[in-house]
Amino acid sequence: MAGRVATSFGNLFAAVGAPVLALCAEVGGILTLLFRVLWCLVPPRFDLDETWRNLHKMGVKSVPIIVLTAFFTGGIMVIQAAVFVKKFGATSLVGWGAGYAVFREVGPMLLGLMFSGRVGSNNTAELGTMVVTEQIDGLRALSIDPVRYLLVPRVLSMIVMLFLLTILGDVVAILGAALFGTVLADVSLASFWVSFSQNVHVADVVHGLIKAAVFGFIVALTSCHFGITVKGGAVGVGRAVNNAVVAAALGIVLSDYLLTYALP
Amino acid sequence: MIRCASLSLTLSHRPVLHELSWDLAAGSVWGIIGPPASGKSVLVKTLCGLFTPQRGTLHVDGVEMTRLPEPARVDVRRKMGMLFQNNALFDFLRVWENVAFPLARQDPELSREELAARAGERLRAVGLAGSEEKWPSELSGGMKKRVGIARATICNAPVLIYDEPTAGLDPVTTSKIYDLLTDLRTRHASTVIAISSDIPALRRFVENVLFLHQGRVLYRGPEAGLEACEDPVVYQFIRGLGEGPL
Repeated sequence: MAGRVATSFGNLFAAVGAPVLALCAEVGGILTLLFRVLWCLVPPRFDLDETWRNLHKMGVKSVPIIVLTAFFTGGIMVIQAAVFVKKFGATSLVGWGAGYAVFREVGPMLLGLMFSGRVGSNNTAELGTMVVTEQIDGLRALSIDPVRYLLVPRVLSMIVMLFLLTILGDVVAILGAALFGTVLADVSLASFWVSFSQNVHVADVVHGLIKAAVFGFIVALTSCHFGITVKGGAVGVGRAVNNAVVAAALGIVLSDYLLTYALP
Repeated sequence: MIRCASLSLTLSHRPVLHELSWDLAAGSVWGIIGPPASGKSVLVKTLCGLFTPQRGTLHVDGVEMTRLPEPARVDVRRKMGMLFQNNALFDFLRVWENVAFPLARQDPELSREELAARAGERLRAVGLAGSEEKWPSELSGGMKKRVGIARATICNAPVLIYDEPTAGLDPVTTSKIYDLLTDLRTRHASTVIAISSDIPALRRFVENVLFLHQGRVLYRGPEAGLEACEDPVVYQFIRGLGEGPL
């Protein structure tokens, strides 16, 4: 009897312990990668050509999807608010509401998630394929540190580009909100602008941009970590992409919660 | 040139190399054969310093590799050129950039024009003139192997390692690849290590053979002596018999 109870407890510990250990291993791996990336940044020791290539690939090529997402995000905000704006005649609040929500929360969050889906998953798949096809070993055989040559440029590019794309996305989202407000809620552009310019402050923009940079860092670290640690061929690459997207989404939501509290 | 003594390596709690000892004289040509998952690729990657064995010593040109920190392995690695099993061509670089990559790292003073010229010359040597501006994804399997060989040999390293240089290739291309390897080897008098599952073709190319099974050496010596080896695994494997311990 006592033996059976001990076995059951043992199984329970194993069932709980294995995922916890796996989670600790992933978190430890991400922190180790963070340390190695920072080590390469002070003083800066990374490949400029590779950084430039990634800035173009991750930033410029993301512009259409970011513009589309941001435009309709602004529109959606107004559609949701239009019913109450008409009901209470609160047209003077539309510009402020759209600007405040887009700059502080919806812009960085949605664009971060979109960026993770487009750029982060692509990055994981690319790095994972490089592992599977021995390209990483090829670099190491040539005494090239893959972290310095491949990962640092990607991390920098993702932080810079999500920051810049969020600025672009914010502007487009406000334009979308103003346009949809005119069409759907009978809010004139002048009224929208007055409400927006008088109530939205630089601090709101800065708040969102700090979040964007942090989200970019999270997407970069998770996508690079899961990409570079791929095991098991094509199936492993698929699994890594899945894990990277989930981890990035989780990281974005958690850090958003913390930053919303911490930032003014 | 290379001396391994009692090398043991465990990966993911699984022993991959076990008490492996092996001496390679400068200029010798070795083939590594053995059943799948016997540790052949891991062994050559260990020689390059990509894996660090838990026990034993590995000397390359008199330098003990196993205790060297990663940055200090640069000089040793420069003495080696390697063709990987999957070619390991960098798919973000064009063919000529792939070939020139080791050269650019070895000599940062070389201009882009000089690098392109040297890479073009090496590509002509492997029969791929005109492919300089292509991407690796545009190449056939045989062409990728040739690009991999061009990249492995462009620095004229004293040790050349070819992991499955003819895997998945037809007999004619296989023959051409071995002719190419023989030509390169004759011109530069390199020490060569080749892994291949195409045993007859490999045996025509090499002078000596190392037979690995489950990370242990079952035969080490002249290629001609392989037939006389009485180990049942070696006997079955080199004759391709269906019945036996494998």
